Amino acid sequence: MRDLRPILLVEDSPKDAELTLAALARCQLLNEVVHVRDGAEALDYLRSEGEFADTRHGGPVVVLLDLKLPKVNGLEVLEEVRKDERLRSTPIVMLTSSREEQDLLRSYKLGVNAFVVKPVDFKEFFEAIQGLGVFWGITNQPPPRAPEGERE
Amino acid sequence: MPSVSSPAPRELDLSGCASEPIHTPGAIQPYGLLLVVNPRDLLVTARAIPPSLDDLDDPLDAPIDLAFGGVLRACQGTIAAISTDQSVYLGLFELSAHGLFHGLAHRHGDVLLIELEMSVSGEPASLEELYPTIRQFMLSLEKADSVEELCAMGAAQVSELTGFDRTLVYQFDAAWNGAVIAESRNDVLPSYMDLRFPESDIPAQARELYRKNRIRLIADSTYERVPLVRGPSANGHAPTDLSAATLRSVSPVHLQYMKNMGTGASMSVSLVHDGKLWGLISCHNEAPKQVPYHVRTTCEFIGQILALQIAQKERGAKVEERVSRRAAQMHLLGRMTGDGDFVEALKRDEDHLLALTRATGAAIIRREDCVLLGDCPSEEKVRELAQWISAKKDGGDTYDTDQLTTVWAEAGDIAGVASGLLAISISQLHDSYLIWFRPEVVRTVRWGGDPRKEPTDGTLSPRKSFEIWKETVRGRSIPWDDIDRDAAMELRVAIVDIVLRNAEELAEVNEQLVRTNKELEAFSYSVSHDLRAPFRHIVGYSELLTSSARDRLSETEQRFIDTIVESAKSAGTLVDDLLSFSQLGRSSLGKMNVAMNTLVDDVRMSLDMEHQGREVTWLVENLPTVRVDPAMMRQVWQNLIANALKFTRHARVTEIAIGHLQDEHENVFWIKDNGCGFDMRYVDKLFGVFQRLHHVEDFEGTGIGLANVHRIVTRHGGRVWAEGKPDVGATFYFSLPR
Repeated sequence: MRDLRPILLVEDSPKDAELTLAALARCQLLNEVVHVRDGAEALDYLRSEGEFADTRHGGPVVVLLDLKLPKVNGLEVLEEVRKDERLRSTPIVMLTSSREEQDLLRSYKLGVNAFVVKPVDFKEFFEAIQGLGVFWGITNQPPPRAPEGERE
Repeated sequence: MPSVSSPAPRELDLSGCASEPIHTPGAIQPYGLLLVVNPRDLLVTARAIPPSLDDLDDPLDAPIDLAFGGVLRACQGTIAAISTDQSVYLGLFELSAHGLFHGLAHRHGDVLLIELEMSVSGEPASLEELYPTIRQFMLSLEKADSVEELCAMGAAQVSELTGFDRTLVYQFDAAWNGAVIAESRNDVLPSYMDLRFPESDIPAQARELYRKNRIRLIADSTYERVPLVRGPSANGHAPTDLSAATLRSVSPVHLQYMKNMGTGASMSVSLVHDGKLWGLISCHNEAPKQVPYHVRTTCEFIGQILALQIAQKERGAKVEERVSRRAAQMHLLGRMTGDGDFVEALKRDEDHLLALTRATGAAIIRREDCVLLGDCPSEEKVRELAQWISAKKDGGDTYDTDQLTTVWAEAGDIAGVASGLLAISISQLHDSYLIWFRPEVVRTVRWGGDPRKEPTDGTLSPRKSFEIWKETVRGRSIPWDDIDRDAAMELRVAIVDIVLRNAEELAEVNEQLVRTNKELEAFSYSVSHDLRAPFRHIVGYSELLTSSARDRLSETEQRFIDTIVESAKSAGTLVDDLLSFSQLGRSSLGKMNVAMNTLVDDVRMSLDMEHQGREVTWLVENLPTVRVDPAMMRQVWQNLIANALKFTRHARVTEIAIGHLQDEHENVFWIKDNGCGFDMRYVDKLFGVFQRLHHVEDFEGTGIGLANVHRIVTRHGGRVWAEGKPDVGATFYFSLPR
């Protein structure tokens, strides 16, 4: 069964965002892709706060989270989400340019679901994004959200 | 003339000598008379008058101005005015038919002592008469170069003035044994030059009297004591203290000692400096001998001048010695500040290091280092010695001895080079020492009689025998003095300072390194994020362009875009390679036991997939299990095997062999191929970062693979090298320490 909740893309670089969106578009997913540009916006969206106070959604089907972000960085967003009772089970995929082991280790310690180093080769990049889209958008059924989290 | 019969022999106990109340003997010698006077009413409370003068009126209980026909009346005022602890010469007095007497008055506490001492016929009439002699003596002292020479002059002068058969200068050592260092004599009495006398010959109590009373005469060792008779007013009072009296009777033990020594008269002049008894001018005569008062006073004066001159000479010698040590110290300090390592610095300046403490050998023990300079025991012995010092020193920074073999049971046969030892600790943390050695000095000590001999009957007898007794002293070095210890301590302070400063500098460098490393990490972290992104964008947008404009692009245009993509990709690979190379240097090694054959097979399999269709003959020997970081070692094989496959691409049949050699120090692994090889002229460039020996068109690659191999192997403590011949093949080797 398809989950049509949106995919949240957290990416500050417009170029990376455009390329990621292009890759996702090629997957021909039905899910809406919501794009925010920093960690603070991402948390606002997830908690339906700030400029997203009026937004009603069942939480994203997956968060594609860039590691290096202005204001609140990816690791901090991840940490906040895992601490938050209502958001805890949101699937998060860390997208990063970094091949640094320390980032990988910290991400897994904080409970990331997947960690993807953005490949230079667009074909690989495309395949990676497509894989994620397909895995989280179509075939995967995220755990049911706690009732108090239901806002729809 | 006083009677010459011996004093009544009494049972004498030698051990009691030190406790005998020699300042209150209750008697005087018979060459004069003594009155004890109450200073308040000037009444005579006690008197001692020898038999030769017993025709004089007894002055007991009479006022002083009435005594002996009133001879003292004229100086009654002087006597009354004497303050305590003062002695005053009263002048010459004539006592009826007995001739002229020298009058002396001493005040000690509540007692006035008045002595009338017989004059000697032909004696100098006044001190003035002796002045030219004193003046001459003082002038001559200036020419003396050493303490010994000064003492020889003093002995000669006193001998000339008094005419004693033998005049000695006797010096005390730290344990109050005495040694004769100068002598002037005629042939009547034997020479005592260089002889030593044990401490017990002049016990502490006697030394204290010598210190207070600078001159002492025993005119006749066989004299009859003249008892002090006290009047009724003195009843119940403590025995009178006769310390100040020149006529004071001496201990019977001492008289016996003199007789044993064969001397009928003796005189001692104290050499006192800074309140301390340095020695004595000691005069002996075979026959009894009276020394006139003025001559005695002159001798006392000579003693004082001599003591001052000796002190000055000793001080001068010490200052000179300290200056010379200071010079050695300055040399060493200069070396140590110029050199990072103080041990190296001291090693290079052996002469000054030894001169610093007048030693003949020195050892520096610092953790594993053990440096021996000059004459030292073996390294093994020195290390044992350091442990012994470490165990025995009780928190002190120095230790010294001049008889190591007596204090250290393990010293064994090292006495020859190391009877003397002076050690300083040069680290608070480790048992590190600087030890100086002095050799054994076998000395022959000539004692004036065997000091070990106990009186057999337990009574009487001070020493009967003054036979020279030779003792050979072994296992001793020249003792260390304060100058040696101070010089050692000062060097210790300098070393500790330098060690501390080095440690601080090291800590600073370390801190800088840590900082630089952090900066480098931050740098490569941001490079890994920011440098890759533009390449990704170039590739991504080119692909987007290709896919949206595919139909409109000419073949050439498409080739241009492909080249852009290719270039961006290879730049991206370069960044990745560079980053992994820098990570290799930073990440820590997680060593475990790794079977090299498993690793090699694993890598081979993964690479075989990429080279399907090629005919490769593999020859892999049995390889040992080694302790390495498996991920890193995998990279080593990955690079080496990939290289072998890459450079054999054009060979008809590829042959790759992997093998292993070992010796006691290291395991050597090698991989040999029959590929295009390389020119040995460029072998040095092989393992450099981004160094390539082939054109990219022929063989792809960034030139970082072998640099990674080099870095990983080096981090494991091993080496890498290679041999090659163009068009024949290459062999790469790496070693790992066992």
